[in-house]
Amino acid sequence: MKIIRRFAGMILLVLVAGFIQPAFAVAQPDSRQAEQVMRTWYKLVLELVRHTPTYSPPVASRSFAYLGVTGFEALATGNDGLKSLAGQLNALQPGPQREAGKVYDDALVVDAALSFAVQNFFSNTGPTGQRALKAMQAKMRERAVSGLPDDVISRSEAHGRAVGEHILSWSKEDGGAVIENMGFPLEYTLTEGPAHWVPTSLIAQQQLPLLPNWGKNRTFAMANGATCGLPAPLEYSEDKNSTFYKDAFEVYTAVKDLTPEHRVIARFWSDDPMLSPTPPGHWISIALQVLEHEKAGPEQTADVLARLGVVLADSFIGCWDAKFRYDLVRPLTYIRRVIDPKWEAILNTPPFPEYPSGHSTQSGAAADVLTKAFGDNFAFEDATHAADGLKPRPFPSFWAAAEEAGISRLYGGIHFRAAIERGLDQGRCIAGYVNALKTRK
Amino acid sequence: MRALVLTLAASTSLIAVPIAAPAADAPLLIPRYSEETKTSGINSIYAGDWQYMVGGGVATFDCDGNGYADMFLAGGEAPAKFYRNTSKHAGPLTFKAETSGLELESVTGAYPLDIDSDGNVDLVLLRVGENVVMRGLGGCRFKRANEDWGFDGGDAWSTALAATWEHGSDWPTIAIGNYIDRREEMFPWGSCTENWLHRPVADQGQRRFAPPIALKPSFCPLSMLFTDWNRSGTPSLRVSNDREYYKGGQEQLWHVEPGKEPALYTPQEGWKNLRIWGMGIAGYDLNLDGYPEYFLTSMADNKLQTLAKPVEGGKSEPGYSDVAFAKGITAHRPYAGGDVRPSTAWHAQFEDVNNDGRADLFVAKGNVADMPDFAAKDPDNLLLQKPDGKFEEAGDKAGVENYATARGAALADFNLDGLLDLVVVNRWETAKVWRNTTEKAGNWIEIQLKQDVTNRDAIGSWLELRRGDTILRREITVGGGHVSGQLGWRHFGIGEAEGADLRVIWPDGRASDWQPVAGNGFYILERDKPVKTWRPG
Repeated sequence: MKIIRRFAGMILLVLVAGFIQPAFAVAQPDSRQAEQVMRTWYKLVLELVRHTPTYSPPVASRSFAYLGVTGFEALATGNDGLKSLAGQLNALQPGPQREAGKVYDDALVVDAALSFAVQNFFSNTGPTGQRALKAMQAKMRERAVSGLPDDVISRSEAHGRAVGEHILSWSKEDGGAVIENMGFPLEYTLTEGPAHWVPTSLIAQQQLPLLPNWGKNRTFAMANGATCGLPAPLEYSEDKNSTFYKDAFEVYTAVKDLTPEHRVIARFWSDDPMLSPTPPGHWISIALQVLEHEKAGPEQTADVLARLGVVLADSFIGCWDAKFRYDLVRPLTYIRRVIDPKWEAILNTPPFPEYPSGHSTQSGAAADVLTKAFGDNFAFEDATHAADGLKPRPFPSFWAAAEEAGISRLYGGIHFRAAIERGLDQGRCIAGYVNALKTRK
Repeated sequence: MRALVLTLAASTSLIAVPIAAPAADAPLLIPRYSEETKTSGINSIYAGDWQYMVGGGVATFDCDGNGYADMFLAGGEAPAKFYRNTSKHAGPLTFKAETSGLELESVTGAYPLDIDSDGNVDLVLLRVGENVVMRGLGGCRFKRANEDWGFDGGDAWSTALAATWEHGSDWPTIAIGNYIDRREEMFPWGSCTENWLHRPVADQGQRRFAPPIALKPSFCPLSMLFTDWNRSGTPSLRVSNDREYYKGGQEQLWHVEPGKEPALYTPQEGWKNLRIWGMGIAGYDLNLDGYPEYFLTSMADNKLQTLAKPVEGGKSEPGYSDVAFAKGITAHRPYAGGDVRPSTAWHAQFEDVNNDGRADLFVAKGNVADMPDFAAKDPDNLLLQKPDGKFEEAGDKAGVENYATARGAALADFNLDGLLDLVVVNRWETAKVWRNTTEKAGNWIEIQLKQDVTNRDAIGSWLELRRGDTILRREITVGGGHVSGQLGWRHFGIGEAEGADLRVIWPDGRASDWQPVAGNGFYILERDKPVKTWRPG
């Protein structure tokens, strides 16, 4: 059994301090620090996701995908054991290559690539994020170039930036590059009928659903948003003998009789935008903790972050395709209409249709990718929310975590069971495409 | 035991009509504001980079005893400025910059209050660095008093203040909210520094502040307000926190009771978790039930909270319903200018700007600093309350469609004509002033409260104006808004009414008798004395 027992904040300090100190004081190119470069940049990225209002979960997942591919490709161009994702991911063409016979520093290449990528994918972060980004760029570079010859510095930085530019260029036509009004459309016609989503929030901006066209975005590894389509949800009914009513009553009862443990679970996986790194960021955080604990090298670090980013992004596209295909009503609406007009959910009901559960889809997908990377029954402790005062939670496997993430949405009163179970299934399907990618020669 | 137990339900159950009782379908009187910045003499920029992205306050107060509100403007990294009000009665707004002793750098905002109860207004200057209390010497001269009054100004990024006189105390209690650790560059999130509670020393004879105690946990507040939210007679400390920087935080309400350590209201007491980009608090009894509603400014959304289950005798649970959407007061997006991105809201203030007997709402708006997710052209709001209690935007029609990057503000009657004028502090450009030139506005009454010996401005009182079955109420507070404070006349519009009955519930709970006052007049209500008429010179 492998157990990680660290708090996120401590990890962060160790990472920054560890990377910034002796690692780059060597004169010779050394690829051992590239993984530290990646992990350190991702720590900042998790904060930027939390503190950049555009970064709803789908938007965050997209950035995780492009950052992961950027890091991987930057490393792969100088690593005989790695196979580029160009030609495997949709519309990704072969990128710039390193000059044969020339010396590059992998860590500096990766730093330059991620520095460029973070600056561009988070260009709309606020003044504090911009200030932090500049500070990170300066300090990372200062250490990265220490002791390196000038020609290696300039060559490595130029190549890293070129890789970053290549990926950024690829990203621009995927349908998700421009987000307006934090993802809420200014015009949208709600589907008529009691089975369909209606606003559940008192926030004016959220009277129309988040990112209704996200399911049409270009996917990364699977063919399109409908590739892992789902069967229709349960037939809507207000008959007390119907399965739909029984599913809704299960949510009603679960919230009404919530145990302290179930409340903790609901809160732990709540992962609210702007108050957390979002659900995809939660899984990135898990991966970072595991990678560090496992002392994963640059190849595995890059591989895991690329695959995880891609599968999270494809999950949100696939999930959103289904959400707006079926446009199912939320438990809050149904229960207040049919069972108890004063009922309150534990969690804030997200402002978009119910079926399937996005957290379930992406958690199932992430669990499958991480299981392939680290094995079945890989036990770990998740300290993602330690800085927010939530105790770390131990899990016997990635799938145990994914299943808990799924059921947390029922405890929280925001999803029916069917959306959770089908969401996990959808995630497993999407992960199949990502796990099939070839990253090693 | 308090001298008066309020029977709010009895008084409010009869309230069905606003004071002016206009017809429900009567057209709203759109106020008219004329910008007079260029001729006013005001030229003060809230300057500075990252450490001044929040803040930018204004304080209005009368420091020369002529009844006209003078003005202090925070300058950020530039020196603050003091302006003496040289306006004439009902005339154009004019101010004269003078050296007052208040011209410190690094000031984010300021609140006026008479700390030592000597009859001269003092100021607390919130700063990036050491906060400073400035003792009023009279004649609009001020002198640092940190050492004389035992005030530890600390070294923080201060962004909020609230003050009260705790029962039995002859010296104020001041809460100061502090923002993030300004020295943390790469990971400032989660670095909220401690808020402070400056209480008087235990020995009542000393008349000075004790060393501040930390209000922990602290979650980066941008507004604080001592308010008697449940009408228990003892104000609590409401704190609005910026979720951008805290981790594990939320909005807060503190018990602050004499002789006891401050303690947070808990979920067991009915406090509900709310996490917003809290930037400003405005309180006012909008629904005339005797309990204040609170407007909380934020980004992309603003809240209007009303007490969910009022219970007499101070027994209410602190549970609030958000009625902003229902009241049409979310002000979440620019209403003019063509920018459809979400708004960023700062100072908020309820006042009756057209004197129709209903409190309206002003909200200062402005991007933090080049945040592409939020509107760059973000006009300030002037939301007029309609007879049905809902609000209608009138900022553009009224002429206060300010597209500068606004922060703090104040609605005050600078020329003492009974109409509330406006000053708005802007980041990177000069503050702006508007004169309220509304024609055919309703009648009005303006009042100042006075006490002898201590707490001379009667902070913590409730001012009530009655006509028929309608009672308008104002809580007299120091705090709230966005780093902007006011001391001076308290204004009521009364519509077509020719007068009203006036009384005050003093901070110790004693209520004065109802006294009739005529409309369109200034009144000074001194404790245990008949109300006095005052006229501008």
